[in-house]
Amino acid sequence: MPEIKVTPLGAGQDVGRSCILVSIGGKNIMLDCGMHMGYNDDRRFPDFSYITQNGRLTDFLDCVIISHFHLDHCGALPYMSEMVGYDGPIYMTHPTKAICPILLEDFRKITVDKKGETNFFTSQMIKDCMKKVIPLNLHQTVQVDDELEIKAYYAGHVLGAAMVHIKVGSESVVYTGDYNMTPDRHLGAAWIDKCRPDILISESTYATTIRDSKRCRERDFLKKVHESIERGGKVLIPVFALGRAQELCILLETFWERMNLKAPIYFSTGLTEKANHYYKLFITWTNQKIRKTFVQRNMFEFKHIKAFDRSYADNPGPMVVFATPGMLHAGQSLQIFKKWAGNEKNMLDVKMQVEYMSFSAHADAKGIMQLIRMAEPRNMLLVHGEAAKMEFLKGKIEQEFSIDCYMPANGETTSVITNPSVPVDMSLNLLKREMALGGPLPDPKKPRAMHGTLIMKENSLKLVSSEQALKELGLNEHQLRFTCRVQLQDPHSDSDTLHRIYTHLKSLLKDYTIQHLPDGTVMVESIVIKVSSSAEDANSKVLLLSWSYQDEDLGSYLSSLLKKGLPT
Amino acid sequence: MDIQCVSVLPRVCEVLAASGSSLPDDTSLEKLLDWFTATTNTGVSLLESAPCLLDFISNVAFSSTSGPGILSFTLKLTGLIAASEDGFKALEECSVLKLIFDPHHWKEAGLWEDPCLRIGWIQGLRKMLQHSKALRLFVQADLIEPLLQLQTDSSLFVSSAANQLLAHVLLLYQSLSSAGCNGANKRDLEHSGVSEQTIISCSGIITNVSEYLKKSLVLKESSHPPQSQQILKLLTLLLVQLRPPLQEQLLLTVIDSLEELVTKRWSLPLMDVILAANSSLQDDCVSKQQIVRLLSIMLYMKKPADVIQVAAAFLRSRQHDPTHAAYAAGVLLLPLDIATGISLLKTNSTGVDLRILMTEQLKSKSCISMICVCLTNIPQITVMAPDCLPCPQRLIVAAVLTFLRLCRGDSSSSSTACVEVSRFVTGSSKVQKCAMEALSELSKSPEAEALLADVFKLLTEYLNSPDSDPTVLQKSYKALINWIGVCRDFSSITDQLREGLMQAVRKRACDIRWEARDSTVEFLGHLAEVCPIGEEREPLKTLLGSCSFTIPLLKEALQDPESYVRASSIATLAQTLTFSWQQGAALTQEQEEIVTQLQEILSQDSEGFARRAVVKFFTAWFSSCPSPTSCSLLMQSVPSVLSQGVADLDWEVKLHTLELAELLLDKTFPERLPLHPYAVISNQPHTCHAGENESDLLCSLNSLVDQGVVPALLCGLVDCDRPVALKACQLLIKLRDTVSSLLVNAADPRVSCMLPGQSWVQEMRGNKDAHTQGAPHVGSESRDEAAEETPCTDGDAVCVSVCEVLRTLDLDKKLSVLMQSSDHIYNSPLSLLQDILTASTAASNPNSDPGQEVIVDCY
Repeated sequence: MPEIKVTPLGAGQDVGRSCILVSIGGKNIMLDCGMHMGYNDDRRFPDFSYITQNGRLTDFLDCVIISHFHLDHCGALPYMSEMVGYDGPIYMTHPTKAICPILLEDFRKITVDKKGETNFFTSQMIKDCMKKVIPLNLHQTVQVDDELEIKAYYAGHVLGAAMVHIKVGSESVVYTGDYNMTPDRHLGAAWIDKCRPDILISESTYATTIRDSKRCRERDFLKKVHESIERGGKVLIPVFALGRAQELCILLETFWERMNLKAPIYFSTGLTEKANHYYKLFITWTNQKIRKTFVQRNMFEFKHIKAFDRSYADNPGPMVVFATPGMLHAGQSLQIFKKWAGNEKNMLDVKMQVEYMSFSAHADAKGIMQLIRMAEPRNMLLVHGEAAKMEFLKGKIEQEFSIDCYMPANGETTSVITNPSVPVDMSLNLLKREMALGGPLPDPKKPRAMHGTLIMKENSLKLVSSEQALKELGLNEHQLRFTCRVQLQDPHSDSDTLHRIYTHLKSLLKDYTIQHLPDGTVMVESIVIKVSSSAEDANSKVLLLSWSYQDEDLGSYLSSLLKKGLPT
Repeated sequence: MDIQCVSVLPRVCEVLAASGSSLPDDTSLEKLLDWFTATTNTGVSLLESAPCLLDFISNVAFSSTSGPGILSFTLKLTGLIAASEDGFKALEECSVLKLIFDPHHWKEAGLWEDPCLRIGWIQGLRKMLQHSKALRLFVQADLIEPLLQLQTDSSLFVSSAANQLLAHVLLLYQSLSSAGCNGANKRDLEHSGVSEQTIISCSGIITNVSEYLKKSLVLKESSHPPQSQQILKLLTLLLVQLRPPLQEQLLLTVIDSLEELVTKRWSLPLMDVILAANSSLQDDCVSKQQIVRLLSIMLYMKKPADVIQVAAAFLRSRQHDPTHAAYAAGVLLLPLDIATGISLLKTNSTGVDLRILMTEQLKSKSCISMICVCLTNIPQITVMAPDCLPCPQRLIVAAVLTFLRLCRGDSSSSSTACVEVSRFVTGSSKVQKCAMEALSELSKSPEAEALLADVFKLLTEYLNSPDSDPTVLQKSYKALINWIGVCRDFSSITDQLREGLMQAVRKRACDIRWEARDSTVEFLGHLAEVCPIGEEREPLKTLLGSCSFTIPLLKEALQDPESYVRASSIATLAQTLTFSWQQGAALTQEQEEIVTQLQEILSQDSEGFARRAVVKFFTAWFSSCPSPTSCSLLMQSVPSVLSQGVADLDWEVKLHTLELAELLLDKTFPERLPLHPYAVISNQPHTCHAGENESDLLCSLNSLVDQGVVPALLCGLVDCDRPVALKACQLLIKLRDTVSSLLVNAADPRVSCMLPGQSWVQEMRGNKDAHTQGAPHVGSESRDEAAEETPCTDGDAVCVSVCEVLRTLDLDKKLSVLMQSSDHIYNSPLSLLQDILTASTAASNPNSDPGQEVIVDCY
């Protein structure tokens, strides 16, 4: 039985790092290749030795697909491709390919800043890795090889995030990566075809949350920032250069405008420009509103948000500063942090007044259910979430959709048996013949049996009538007949014996056509019976039975019947 | 163990035992364990320094209400403590050891299902099993049974760890029993804690393992393939790690099953077992012959896809077996032989049947993976002894070339096999990449040079084609470099070939794909390295004309929209010009223009990669010049490169700038360079140089200020990026020690420099507070003594006296601070312990807002 196997090396019942292996139709695919930010040693990377023991990764894997640029989804990629050694194709969307190196460089800086870091990649390795990347366009089917095809769908979450539909023959898997089903200020909501995959592999970060409307969260955030600013404090917001930062920038910009606030907002130097550059470049990936207003006003050119300079940290009075992790670790924001740490008025998204606020865009339970309704998968598999929360959602899904839901731990393999439906073309003649027999009109919703000859020619299957099959294949028709001899003791003439057989069968087989033909044979349907005497013994008769393969059952029955002899 | 940590630890243990669910993050427990392991490794007894751990383990073991994460941690911790005999004794005395490693205990609690717990159990045992007492416990508690069950666990991680543990148990048994045999002296044995009793009781393990392996390898219809694969992996591991006689003893129990598998259900892990057995068994072993026979059976299989895998595995394992090696090489070359029509093999050397079957197989899609295996293993063939090789290497090169042509859809051969194969391989970048790699490797073959022109022609075709995938292009360039690198005679390269290559390179230098442009620019750099311009053997001139071809292309690439390409072109320019710099040749007009352009890039380019490359360009220029000071353009550019570089936003630009400053520093004070890499460097500051007078030193120092070295170092010192500040600090210490004789006099205002930025004012103030004596002289440019109290600022700029700064700054203290990792506080054990406490308080605080989860993510 064909089966699809899914083995998470990471993201199986955790949110550490995503790395999921899928075997489908003889192809092996790696979905995401993330890094765990919590470790300084090899434990941060997935253990690739589980994939193949002594063979090369390139021989085993057909391709790697990266869903988006966050490091827990792509951070181990240069390590895998340049240090472990993987030479095969890597797929990601255009924006992800452009932004990935920025984040990898930012993280590389942190690792240089820390000590005791092992096995980390260089700038050259990041570049060499990126050169192996094949960019994907949304909704464009990409043929990885003759059999394997992939197609990307919009996932929201961050600029360039994509879900992928992976298909081999009639089997398919959808991997969502991180996604959100509600549009936000700068990105749209995830969307997918009703592609009915065999398995839908979905993230489940917020598996048990039905999030309070995002507005509440935003209001809360603005309130807190506003309070600090009013008190004359300073606000430091750690963010990645790209991603949620833009969402928060737009939020603050509008709020500042509305409240007519004067306190300056800063974004780390150089990064605003870079971010804007990418948003302009990939404007089609943002939401409709931004695309519409782009011509009149670029939403990513902010009136209140300016580039930050080190010396500004000394300026008196309130301010808001966005800082990236690279900065936060040892660079500018560490200095800012040290400078501001003494003052309670200052708010920092770390301990003077530390507020952890989540603005990450993941699908909540409602969103996940919504996606299931959209894609109509045959099975569901949850990753990138906590075990307990997954368990709860799994119950919900199985109850509501009556499909199996799996949640393998890291290292565990889930196998799903598929019943691939094989599409077959049918000849018009055969269809017409069926119609002529008076059957109902063909209806895709009502499956029914059809008889014909199946021809496999040039990678396609065709059901035709047997005559047409013979004609197309240039073959002659042969009749296949089975014959058998039965010995009988019957002291009559041959013709009498034959007649006795005729009457005997006539009495037993009422519903069958039985004929006594003038050429000295008895016919039961297509079965021919002849009688001849043995040369040595006139009483010993030899019955010859012959039948076509259609009457195999009846033929065998008659032979066994006649072996028992004739009634006296 | 730190006193503070010891004082916090009991509370942490309480918290962990009570509820493990509210941890700061999913790495906390692993990190805690890391700390315990590191402590143990320093020879400290965990139980002595933290007796609370014993209570913790007991609490967790007896209550069994903790979550699987905490339990797993506890099992590992128990193992760690029990690894020492004292720890083992203490744990046994409170009768926790048997309980905690008893799987039934966890099964009854319904926790064994969690793979996390099973991993903890395995790793805990693995840590504990270091001595005979532990092994005895393992045997008495009959833990071998559950361990054997875990060998084929549903979790890949668990089964793999269980394989390792089983091997470890056997190794421990082996070393103890060999101590038993060789020790001779009974007293010695007792002293090392190994009683004969122990060895006898432990020998049951071997029986168990043997029976288990025998049972698991019997071919059953129902046997689940992944499980038997795991057993084969285990067997390979055991064969590789164990020694005779145990090794052979195990092998003998399974050899019949192996034979059945070899003939009925072949797999790659099975091949690994046979290869491991073949290489680790002594020649006089009973089973050796049988293993060799099995190896032959596998190698002479008739299923093309399988036999190719076997042949590749055989060659990779480097077995000393020339006959089999020659056959394996033949098998691997067979697809190439058939596909290209070039007779690499003597007729029937691999058998007629295999050839027929292989020819058939090559007509299907699966030929791609088969051919890839052949191509990737060609390096194994080329290293074989010439008498084992089925054909001269020249023929293999020719076949790979023909095959690469086939991949481009150019099949000049009319053989049916060629046509069939080309249907599948044409345009397949996977196959092309493998073939290019093989071609690269083949450049090392002895008769390579004869085919140089052919290789050239083919690679040019690939480079010329707009259809070539960027990754294939990159490999084509690599192959070209490899071939050019090894060849001495370029007479076969005609003008036409050369022109063709130049055209192709030119075309790819303006390819629409940045990956292709970047590889092209990088290729020019590598080319300059394998054959520098102007060198006598001048292959580059022969090949690509001269600088007049390369430099205009690179100049164009300086304007590339992709910053990676700009950076590569700058690096390549440096590589290309190195030779003329070394020769001290006068700069051309073109080169002067390049320097101006590079300076523009340094000040204007928005991307760090290009700016980093510019600074490295100047470093390369400076270091390859025999007399940099006589090159006026270089010396003119250096101050601006230093001042711009050190003020850059990118930390690597700054770091590279300091490397340039270091070169200048070493040039100015050459004798300070370590004479020998192993020379002992004195910790004492270098006081005075013989024959060196103060005015010379002053003069040198002044020139360093003028060149911008000192301002760059001082700027770097207050930089917010630790690696930059560290480098600057190290260089300043070097400078301070060199000019120490100048620092004796309290205030020597003769050398001063301007520094930009407010940071310096603070740095000075900070130091002034710290140093009540000898406050640094910070004055205006006019060195107005009256302005000494507050640094004179000109806008943002500050003027400082260099000698005073060097004398008063506590560089050594700063160095020790900068040497610390930026996360040393956050990563300290104390911080970890405090985080665990904080997280638990937050979780148990009923007032906390349930909606406000702490979500660690990356926006």
